[in-house]
Amino acid sequence: MGDILRELTEAFGAERILEQETKDGMPTVWVAPGLLLELLSYLKTAPSGAYPMLYDLTAIDEREREHREGQPPSSFTLVYHLLSFERNEDIRIKVALEGERPSIPSAIGLWQSADFYEREVWDMFGVGFEGRPAPRRILMPPWWEGHPLRKEHPARATDMGAFVMGEAEKAAMMEALRFDPASWQVGGEGEAGAFYINIGPQHPSAHGVLRLVARLDGEVVEDLYPDIGYHHRGAEKMGERQSWHTYIPYTDRIDYLSGSMNELPYLLAVEKLAGIEVPERAMVIRVMMVELFRIISHLVFYGTFTQDVGQMSPVFYMFNDRERAFDIVEAVTGGRMHPAWFRIGGVAMDLPEGWESMVLGFVKYLRRALKDYDAAVMRSSLFKARTVGIGAISLAEAIEWGATGPFLRACGLDWDLRKTRPYGGYERFEFEVPTASGGDSYDRLAIHVEEMRQSLRIIEQCVTGMPTGPYKADHPLATPPPKERTMRDIETLIDHFLGVSWGPNIPPGEACATVEGAKGQNSYYLVSDGGGMSYRTRIRTPSFAHIQMTPMMSRGLTVSDLVVILGSVDYVLADVDR
Amino acid sequence: MRPTDPSRHPFADIQLSRRSDLLAWGRSRSLWPFNFGLSCCYVEFATALTSKYDLARFGSEIIRGSPREADVMVVAGTVFKKMAPIVLHMWEQMMEPRWVISMGSCAGSGGMYDIYSVVQGVDSFLPVDIYVQGCPPSPDSFMRGLTLLQDSVELEKRPLSWVVGPQGISKPPRPSMRDIMRDERRTRGGLEPPDRI
Repeated sequence: MGDILRELTEAFGAERILEQETKDGMPTVWVAPGLLLELLSYLKTAPSGAYPMLYDLTAIDEREREHREGQPPSSFTLVYHLLSFERNEDIRIKVALEGERPSIPSAIGLWQSADFYEREVWDMFGVGFEGRPAPRRILMPPWWEGHPLRKEHPARATDMGAFVMGEAEKAAMMEALRFDPASWQVGGEGEAGAFYINIGPQHPSAHGVLRLVARLDGEVVEDLYPDIGYHHRGAEKMGERQSWHTYIPYTDRIDYLSGSMNELPYLLAVEKLAGIEVPERAMVIRVMMVELFRIISHLVFYGTFTQDVGQMSPVFYMFNDRERAFDIVEAVTGGRMHPAWFRIGGVAMDLPEGWESMVLGFVKYLRRALKDYDAAVMRSSLFKARTVGIGAISLAEAIEWGATGPFLRACGLDWDLRKTRPYGGYERFEFEVPTASGGDSYDRLAIHVEEMRQSLRIIEQCVTGMPTGPYKADHPLATPPPKERTMRDIETLIDHFLGVSWGPNIPPGEACATVEGAKGQNSYYLVSDGGGMSYRTRIRTPSFAHIQMTPMMSRGLTVSDLVVILGSVDYVLADVDR
Repeated sequence: MRPTDPSRHPFADIQLSRRSDLLAWGRSRSLWPFNFGLSCCYVEFATALTSKYDLARFGSEIIRGSPREADVMVVAGTVFKKMAPIVLHMWEQMMEPRWVISMGSCAGSGGMYDIYSVVQGVDSFLPVDIYVQGCPPSPDSFMRGLTLLQDSVELEKRPLSWVVGPQGISKPPRPSMRDIMRDERRTRGGLEPPDRI
């Protein structure tokens, strides 16, 4: 029993805290709904080491789950995931709810950031929250019927009847999306005389299908109401119907700017459930590709952000550099944005002949190019005038709202999971974690730029220290099994056939894996019921948390500052809405 | 209107043309896309505008922020049910002549997203002229789609006025890539091994 579990049983009584074993080793406790807020409040400020961040809040529809050994009866389980920097440890709190339409006390009094998460749980599961304004839908359109992540809700569009949109349907759907201060719960702000402007969901500076409604006083943004869900692709439900193996391509498309970066946390979680040890060479190949994708994502961010601010040239240079990186991705994987090249237990194939010189050439080239961009952007007085001090947040606010990644480091916290909790082989690499202190738009970019240099360092070390050996684990659940022997013995052929058609059966259990993604911490929390598909796939993305912070960052600034702030946040709508 | 061979007679490039054909040619070489994207495919569409691919070669680098100024809507990405009425609304705001390129498997058919929140093909509510396949299609594929659309627009028959001549738009038959590619594919020999660069 870990320290925190012992502490909780002492504080609340052993009969009120039920421990659960999980495959990821994260302390996990069950508590009654009545104790939840008291426990969360205790943990948030625990003197022995606080858990100040509500990292994730989600639910599991347990009604069809078979393997729940040692867990209390539950129809819907609420899962609270808190993060402690001080302890360098997370804790998972679970609450069992019975009945078809349960509800639970809202945590919004403890963390304002719970708002989006609770709305999502309501939208996806139909679980209500007490002690807050009734949550309204966040991802699904207002006219939607049912709650998609409930097991009785169909997964496939083709099981739901054709989507018909004639004149009348279109008018009704457009009307349902109309901004209405009362139903949007913007408080007493909806009185006559207030001036609202709608931005998006189709607007160049929204970087995708994001919709914002701003309340303006002249050119000053008094308040902002983000409206998301226009990019909801049902990725979590998809996990319940794709095999563990064939789900990999869907992960690439979550943060679609950083392809393979998304495959890693998913596979780390699957490998924890399956008990697979990944060989060293596969680990280093993965790190190299992931860092390459970090650079690819950061280059798009760098270019588009400067363009938002009004610089026309840099984006062309940076997209060209992205092409140079894609040349490597294409040579190694055959793909570009979404290679789906990692596999359960390793990678799809070995590196091609001649990869070293290609990678080193890119490292050398980009180091020089980044210096030029420093002169063109980072030292530009015009760029600084638009970004320094704009959208600044304090470290306390960042933690309160669940900010991670470059966002958090720009506020001064030296927190990078690759250092603090090395995963997937990162402990063998030398690199630094850049931090800044202003927490503003300029600092967020400065962190990204320095991270690219550090990624180049890591990639260089991958080339010089690439281990020899197999590129995939020798494990019965590694998928697909070795191809070489499929045409020579029937056993391997059958294994291969079942591995790619039905997919491997992953042992029952729960595991969460987190990586330091390009935009912040990205987690996959997987529940296996022992079948060929996941029972529940939860994807915790950084952009969802960050988009919730935009109102706080833009109040009192102008509309043109709002564009700068959106540019500096580095979100992608697929990462917000999944 | 073919590439010039400098060794030819200076007047060899002078061509006589019907006014309608000349206008169709002009339309086909200045297709201005609407600056509109839905998801991953938009990034590859935007990449086609940058210098390595240089969409300006085809007269389509001028992306328009307003649907009223755009000629072609590239439906780049997944068509979400929540977004669908807005996509249709923007298409309705575009003025004739207007065309639609469906970029990527999602826009074409739903692709790998046969899931509750996704429309299974934008052609369920928009008239699509060209389908570009891929997930996402590379910028090269997109450019091939654009040039196919140019060829089609050049052959389109549109009335010159509301009073003279036949009315209504006649579009050429849409060729299948399988037919276009057949001869080239026949000449192909062995496959490149993937373990060499």
